[in-house]
Amino acid sequence: MTTAVTTRPGRFVALRGRLLNRMPFLVACLMLGLIVVIYGALQRGVFTFDELNLDTAAAMTLILAATGQTIVLIRGGIDLSIGGMISLGTVIAATRFGTDPAQVALWAGIILAVGFGVGAVNGLLISVLRLQPFLVTLATWSILNGVAMLILPTDGGSIPGWWVDFSYNTFLGLSNPVWMLIALILFWYWFRATRLGITIQATGSSEKSAFLSGVSVTRVNIVTYGLSGFFAAAAALYLTTQTSAGSPTIGKDYILPSVAAAVIGGVSLFGGRGHLLGTIVGAFILTLIGNLVFVLRVSSHWQPVLSGAILLIAVLAGSIAEKSARGQDQ
Amino acid sequence: MTAIWARHRPILLAYLGMLLLLAVTAVFSPGFLSESNLRSTLILAAFVGIVGLGQTMVIIGGGIDLSIPWVLNSAAILMALLCAGQDLPLVWVVPLVLAAGAGIGFLNGVGVAIFGVPPIVMTLATNVILQGLILVYTGGSPSPSAPAVIKFLAVGRIGPIPVIALIWLALAVLATILLSRTAFGRHLYALGTSATVAEFSGVPTRRTTILTYMMSGLTAAFAGILLPGYSGQAYLGMGDPYLFTSIAAVAIGGASILGGSGNYLGTIAGAMVLTILTGLLPALNLSSGALLVVYGIVILLTVSIGSDAVAGLWGSIFKNRNIRNPGE
Repeated sequence: MTTAVTTRPGRFVALRGRLLNRMPFLVACLMLGLIVVIYGALQRGVFTFDELNLDTAAAMTLILAATGQTIVLIRGGIDLSIGGMISLGTVIAATRFGTDPAQVALWAGIILAVGFGVGAVNGLLISVLRLQPFLVTLATWSILNGVAMLILPTDGGSIPGWWVDFSYNTFLGLSNPVWMLIALILFWYWFRATRLGITIQATGSSEKSAFLSGVSVTRVNIVTYGLSGFFAAAAALYLTTQTSAGSPTIGKDYILPSVAAAVIGGVSLFGGRGHLLGTIVGAFILTLIGNLVFVLRVSSHWQPVLSGAILLIAVLAGSIAEKSARGQDQ
Repeated sequence: MTAIWARHRPILLAYLGMLLLLAVTAVFSPGFLSESNLRSTLILAAFVGIVGLGQTMVIIGGGIDLSIPWVLNSAAILMALLCAGQDLPLVWVVPLVLAAGAGIGFLNGVGVAIFGVPPIVMTLATNVILQGLILVYTGGSPSPSAPAVIKFLAVGRIGPIPVIALIWLALAVLATILLSRTAFGRHLYALGTSATVAEFSGVPTRRTTILTYMMSGLTAAFAGILLPGYSGQAYLGMGDPYLFTSIAAVAIGGASILGGSGNYLGTIAGAMVLTILTGLLPALNLSSGALLVVYGIVILLTVSIGSDAVAGLWGSIFKNRNIRNPGE
């Protein structure tokens, strides 16, 4: 890796490799840019803080859910149980919060702890019983969803008004969700350079190599799925500010979109590759498609068609880039 | 005996579980074993089983099909709208809808086999695209009721046996022959065990992959044509439960989600277990929340019993050295 002696063609190849590596992310940015431009051309006041605040508030539940999913995907797994955890989190909040801030804080902490604990159990089951993440988290999704329905059979409960106000309050012109987004990005740049972040990525690239280098795969799984559960719980807490109620079924709407947001942003389903920035771009794309369909004055039913098409474009771009990169290595 | 046990342990366990469940149900709710109740259980299980047939093929091949809910839903709505309650149009509507289902499967297969898109993403994308297109097409309005022939096929009976159970039986025989007696079946297991080894051994991996997804589209569309006969009419969202149940039935039936193992007999037991549970819990006064909890626990238990880690334990208990232990 001595760059001093790199010749011009060598530098070109290196640049091409770097671009190919980031191609899915670049394609995602391009699509987001296109959506924002079309949206901005058809609607007044898109390029304002108000619009940024609104859109971030709308996207934040998906962003939080997809953050956990991104960590699990980089580990080479998948977490379907976040759907159950999000439902469970909202129904616990809606039935236990009351109005007393101390009680709300206590239960918010409990929900986050439950999220981490449930995820850790997922990781433990996957490691100890050597089961597939897809099946384990499918089963725990069902269990968590069932528990949520036992706590609160139908949508309802109550969320204190000041908690709901959280997503509308602003600081320096930016709303709290935008500050959360900034914090999340900072967290990511810190996290991926930590020992844990590097270990998760290494285990996702090759479980065998990681194991042979002395990594405890069991511990990595517990922490990875624990974090996913934690972020699902955070998504649930945030979601209650949007719905101001609990719902035992709302979580399933975030399972596959969380995977889609990550994949659109260039996270590989085979593990080892991905970046939270891509996932955030993916989540914004999926959220803004709704606005786009609205300003284009077509039926809102076109929204799933567009999201599916964008998902396909993104993943095709990724696989073409991967193929070219592989061809270049040989 | 031990050899048969070792080879078919997960599937035999699935059937054992099914019989145990039936026995438990018979004790707790004697009415469950009545002829009419068994018949309705069989009808519901048949829908899970027919959808699960395609899912079994795809999972044996190492993939997964998440597009089943809206392939099924689209087929149901297309059938109901094009027939408008009449029997005669079925002559051309059924082949058309089945071909459309197989066509969606073809697209899935091409995406997975030729473009290298991960199955989860490819089938997820076709699922949401279909969902949107059907919503746009219908505008969200309900469809007319199902034609009489479809109703007969779904809930009618010949003697004491439901018609759909006979259809299911015929499909089961076909699927079992296809998996165990044909080149396609052997190719499928080879593909699911290791795509690379299969490729180098001359297995037409791309064609096999595309065919399995086409079969899954076909069975989902077939179930979709029949389902309005059971529910009276086609409605939006009627396919959604089948995503979970089709995968769960295959998993309970002992197939590895990694591919290369399992067969359709296991899926049949899985479909029966899931449906009996659905009927058992109301008898025990348990809510739908409790049903979901039990579903999850049953899946965890059955896949753990079938898992290689636990197989090592079984092996040491029964001193059976034939079971390979991959714990190296």
